[in-house]
Amino acid sequence: MTDARTWLERIRALPLEGKIRVMNVCGGHERSISMAGLRGALPPEIELIPGPGCPVCVCPEEDIYTAVQLAMRPDTILVAFGDMLRVPCNAPKNEPRTLEQARAAGGEVRPVASPSEARRIANENPDKEVVFFAAGFETTTAPVAGLVAEGIPANMSVLLSGRLTWPAVAMLLDSETPGFDALIAPGHVSAIMGPEEWTFVPEKHGIPSSVSGFETPSLLASLYSVLRQYLDGKAFLDNTYINVAKPGGNPTARRLLDMTMDVVDSTWRGIGTIPASGFALKPAYAEHDALVRFQIDPKQARKRIGEMPPGCDCARVVLGKLYPNQCALYGKACTPRNPIGPCMVSDEGACHIWWSSGVRPDTPQEAVSAHY
Amino acid sequence: MIEDRHIGLAYGNGGRLTRTLIEELFALHLANDELDVGLDAAPMHLPEGMVPMITTDGFTVQPLEFPGGDIGSLAVNGTVNDLAVSGATPLYMTLNAFIEEGFEVETLERLVQSVAAAARLAGVKIVAGDTKVLPRGQGGGLYLATTGVGMRPADLQLGLGRIAVGDRILVSGPVGDHGIAVMLAREAFDLKGPVQSDCAPVNHLTAALSEVAGLKFMRDPTRGGLATVAHEIAMATSTTVRLKETDVPVQDPVKSVCDMLGYDPYYLACEGRVVAIVAPGAADSAFAALKRTPGGEGAAIIGTIEQGRAQVLLETEIGGSRVLDELEDDPLPRIC
Repeated sequence: MTDARTWLERIRALPLEGKIRVMNVCGGHERSISMAGLRGALPPEIELIPGPGCPVCVCPEEDIYTAVQLAMRPDTILVAFGDMLRVPCNAPKNEPRTLEQARAAGGEVRPVASPSEARRIANENPDKEVVFFAAGFETTTAPVAGLVAEGIPANMSVLLSGRLTWPAVAMLLDSETPGFDALIAPGHVSAIMGPEEWTFVPEKHGIPSSVSGFETPSLLASLYSVLRQYLDGKAFLDNTYINVAKPGGNPTARRLLDMTMDVVDSTWRGIGTIPASGFALKPAYAEHDALVRFQIDPKQARKRIGEMPPGCDCARVVLGKLYPNQCALYGKACTPRNPIGPCMVSDEGACHIWWSSGVRPDTPQEAVSAHY
Repeated sequence: MIEDRHIGLAYGNGGRLTRTLIEELFALHLANDELDVGLDAAPMHLPEGMVPMITTDGFTVQPLEFPGGDIGSLAVNGTVNDLAVSGATPLYMTLNAFIEEGFEVETLERLVQSVAAAARLAGVKIVAGDTKVLPRGQGGGLYLATTGVGMRPADLQLGLGRIAVGDRILVSGPVGDHGIAVMLAREAFDLKGPVQSDCAPVNHLTAALSEVAGLKFMRDPTRGGLATVAHEIAMATSTTVRLKETDVPVQDPVKSVCDMLGYDPYYLACEGRVVAIVAPGAADSAFAALKRTPGGEGAAIIGTIEQGRAQVLLETEIGGSRVLDELEDDPLPRIC
């Protein structure tokens, strides 16, 4: 396999002129890019944009509010992925606004790294209601489907906030200003759903694309592919993750998803409703649907329901239409210590990534470009 | 001989059972020529012409025993290491034990034996102590607190203030082992694995480094790990601390767990490592001094102090860089 340095040299040798914006839509890609320090190593013409691939950032305010309410119920354990714990919702003053605050206020909240842990916690606590707050994309929703299909413990229910990745990209491309020139398509999502899901990007929109893995050489190979396509005036779907992201995806995972879930119109935080972009449990599994089980209507009227915090520009940041440091709150009212919007909470969020790579409100634009 | 299998509240009432606990368990294992259980305070015999140094620390680790160590060895090494990186030779220590009602005598005995073994290894004498028994539900089984006294040569000048641009940074071995070992021992996140804590005294390593002309500063990267020590240096000296990813030793199993959970190994705790800053010309001799001392076999020169904004930069494998920012919250596993 060609190593990272060789790919980097090939990319540096490309005759790039002017900016080219390459979007990724996967938190795992974003993490690999940050950890490898890729932005600083690439030619300045290449701009890597984290798109709507941060599940924490797009999880609707209503779902977080509901999770916080459930966490405060007596005899209930709320299980969630770790980085959901700090995302704020619009609760009244004196009420917990995050799952972390709910835990401090006496609610039982347990961070996990995988859905199977949620099942174990339910089995270990038969006298408690265990609610699994399953926010994420296809990669996270597929194991949840497996959990439901295999038979979920009687005391366990799922607060499902699952989303499909491609509809958000389709929405961006259908808008007048997509904001990117090439796409690094998600590797794990393609491994489950099949890379074919992404052919619409080059074929319908003429945007060079490549499915990528998570190691630096695979990411750089994909980047090289889309840059070459761009320079050659071509657009097709390449794949540098062929051993994992195979045609047709993972048939078992897809069957489990089809068996247990419906695809429904869904809300994305700050963005609004995207048609056929989310998962919901089929009615046959209603008793394990937390919304049904606890008779919660997340849309029930409430002050500032679904709204972004005042001044927060996360929605435009998520869509790649605004740089994090162009938000008036960035680094002032909103820091990782006191995040206002979800993009500053998750380590996959663009604002958090910029902050972690050292960009401060007073960082001059030239220095920002050096990082980015 | 303690007849009960579990520590009851009466072991804390100051009477016969308390005396039995101290004599038959603590004093039995911690015995040394200067431990006198009959006195309220112990005299210290300190060498002339040196600066006495004192430090204290509390220990509440869960689980109490983990691969590579336990709360007993941790309580000794934590305090020994704080003295050692200050340039002092650890001499004396006190031990406080807060025992939860119902705690197994057998486990307590094993942990006190571990305290004794760690003290012997570090060459420190435990000369005073206290025990308390807490009602069930308090204390997580056992909490320990130790205070240590050591002596520093009067002419050994160490401190953040001595660090200058051009200085080199060393670490005595792989980072992140303790943090991952304890996490795996908790079986948190359904993960299991073979990582051993690096829990160990570093006073032999710091003694070897103290012989090196050009040694400027030492620190043990415990909570917050290497990145936090580096950040502290950058802030205090208004310099850029540049670390090289390919030079910082991280064991493969630690890397794997970090990849899986989205953790950064540079922020994970070590309990038997030293970070040292030395003058540019002293890097090779400091490296050699670490290498030839037991516990320093995995030492490496990992970075440089540079002129620039107060920050920690990690130069990545491919020649990019990323900022290691101040640790905000405890790390939590990511969604995907």
